[in-house]
Amino acid sequence: MKEFSYVIKDNVGIHARPAGLLVKEAEKYKSNITLFTKGKNADAKKLFSVMSLSAKNGDEIKVSIFGADEDVAELGIRRFLEKNL
Amino acid sequence: MFFKKQKKEIIYSPCDGKIIPLNEVPDQVFADKILGDGAAILPESGTIVSPVNGKVTQLFDTLHAYALTSDSGIELLIHIGLNTVELKGEGFKSFVKEGDTIKAGDKIADVNLEYIADRGYNLHTPIIITNLSMISSFDVMFGQKKQGDEIIICTIK
Repeated sequence: MKEFSYVIKDNVGIHARPAGLLVKEAEKYKSNITLFTKGKNADAKKLFSVMSLSAKNGDEIKVSIFGADEDVAELGIRRFLEKNL
Repeated sequence: MFFKKQKKEIIYSPCDGKIIPLNEVPDQVFADKILGDGAAILPESGTIVSPVNGKVTQLFDTLHAYALTSDSGIELLIHIGLNTVELKGEGFKSFVKEGDTIKAGDKIADVNLEYIADRGYNLHTPIIITNLSMISSFDVMFGQKKQGDEIIICTIK
């Protein structure tokens, strides 16, 4: 299990477009990827789930990754967040 | 003798306008179907109604996108205009809130199309099925449509 936190820097947060791109990134991995923020959690591979976090600029997201490819998934998700959010 | 009845879900046009293929939307994220598949409408009337019977799953506080879950479980995203998240709600008025039960034809938003176009935004409005694993196929009725016309017919798995 891998865990890390990320604070959203994007002005509008995780709206439809970045949510879609994040799901696309998460789908590359076999691991279960869960996002936690503000008492809510989301399956990173489900668009409606990710969007319903309503994660905004300044919100801290905890990413929890569990599975066979968790090392490479952690790297990929972290890189995605830093580049896009 | 039993036949498995094919369950269909009809998605109705949320406004008057022209239905076009998603890959003609001038925005790669929609055209490449990153968010899911469906169609887009070029709206010609600013009143947006629900295209399905279901529930409002999420309403962005910028009022430009609506996530609806139909009674049969289809998760539908209506994204009004492109990059309109940047308008921060200007030009949009919403008539629903998260968790509301809605019927096809219920008003969900009033959109000031002229204002949005004047601000330089594209009005293409993708209507996207985001959980494609729910359905086995869908057909789109392209071309000029009136609000409430059938635009997408989904066959549920």
